[in-house]
Amino acid sequence: MKKLRYVIIGLIIGLIIGGFTGYIYRGAPESTEYSYPKGKFTYPPSSDIQVTIVYGFDPEYPPFTQVLPNGSATGFDIDVINWIAKKYGWKIIYKPWDWSTIVDALVRGDIDIIASGMTITASRCEKIWFSIPYYSYVHELVVRINENRSFDNILNSGEYIAVQIGSTADEWAERLLKSGYKFKKLGLNSYVEVLDALLDGRASAIITDSAFLGPYLRKNPDIASKIKVLTTIGPPYTYGIATRPEDTWLRNMINKALEELMNSPEWDVLLRKWNLSG
Amino acid sequence: MNYISLIEYLPYIFEGLLWSLALVLGGLGIGFTIGLPIGTMITYSDKYTKFILNVYIWIFRSTPLIVLLFLFYWGVFPNIGLKLSPLITSIIVLGLRSGAYQSEIFRGALESIDEGQILAAYSLGMSKIQAIISITIPQALRISIPSLSNEYAILLKDSAICFTIGVLEVLTRARIVSIATGIALIPYLIAGIILMMMTYIGLKFFHTVYKKTVIPGLIEGI
Repeated sequence: MKKLRYVIIGLIIGLIIGGFTGYIYRGAPESTEYSYPKGKFTYPPSSDIQVTIVYGFDPEYPPFTQVLPNGSATGFDIDVINWIAKKYGWKIIYKPWDWSTIVDALVRGDIDIIASGMTITASRCEKIWFSIPYYSYVHELVVRINENRSFDNILNSGEYIAVQIGSTADEWAERLLKSGYKFKKLGLNSYVEVLDALLDGRASAIITDSAFLGPYLRKNPDIASKIKVLTTIGPPYTYGIATRPEDTWLRNMINKALEELMNSPEWDVLLRKWNLSG
Repeated sequence: MNYISLIEYLPYIFEGLLWSLALVLGGLGIGFTIGLPIGTMITYSDKYTKFILNVYIWIFRSTPLIVLLFLFYWGVFPNIGLKLSPLITSIIVLGLRSGAYQSEIFRGALESIDEGQILAAYSLGMSKIQAIISITIPQALRISIPSLSNEYAILLKDSAICFTIGVLEVLTRARIVSIATGIALIPYLIAGIILMMMTYIGLKFFHTVYKKTVIPGLIEGI
């Protein structure tokens, strides 16, 4: 009995030592750069198969993606995807998804594409790959109409500047704080709440983007008369349609269709329909 | 303010009620199915079983719900070959978490019952299992109703987190409508009223069951 106990203890110790040794001396992982495994849409599906794309979008980003009272999806990006789907005869399944986890949902296959005003950034490109850019915008510092201070004065006032949490505007606020400006960041859930904070005086200024603000103010002229864009911040950013890196065929098809759509008169019609032109 | 479009969106918010109900009732049901046996085993079994069950309770009570949702939706279930929908995953995770809380509710209720009752059952020739099933559990179930109603109210509000994996319950829909209409406060107030009504109806149900099943003489004032 005692011998058996020693054998079992010896085996456990051996396994632990062996495991550690194996872990320490494991070989370097094989390079996975540009060698993505075959995915759902890497190659063209056979002609008798109905292509079904699960389209993930943020239902909280008008005018690009939002929902109608009957729960159906609507917006500029929805129209773009519908146009592409009609061209190829694809079936689209619309899936509203929380913005904070939408990239993971794409990577893990819950959805096949994201077209929801998604900015093409270097960090996102490490996980997902984008189509050609289809819309560009800039960040703006927005204040109340009676504000007379300069950009530097507002950013050094120690007062609140509101941004949407997790947005590229939020990234800009962090950058400005790191570069030495002295203001307090007020992080809110949506651009609508951010704008509300400016209007009711909780924030002295807001950082937002022209993709949201332009169409929103054209739709709400009463609000447009109460605020003004003080200045733009940083370079222009662009939106793209996100796909999994391995879905080469799907991305190429989207790129082809996007190019055709953007060169057609329908593109201007869509931009005007959603107050995105000008 | 676009109040006319807000009215148009009301059915969309109310539709979320069904999702919230599915999450809460499913979560409570699974939680009860897990919680009662675990609470009973922790009260009456040996120290090794207690230790294992306490580890389960500790994990599910100490881990934030959002972490559990991600862990099961993107980790545990895909790795065991299950591709479950966000709703089913959410119900299971809420159920597992509620099970941990409910097991503590039942343990507390079982421990509040005088040990002399089990001894009396032995003297009547009952086995330990018979005594537990016939004598202590029926009493513990009644004693635990007020705490279960509390668990219902908490679960109802916690279920909003399930949107992170794609479940569109009431509060999430209010947020979507707030952005679609540009009205920041009113949609949330509507969602708040819906949740208050759901809480009131649920609590009233638990209170009625409690009043109908209360043990005479055990607790005064009912």
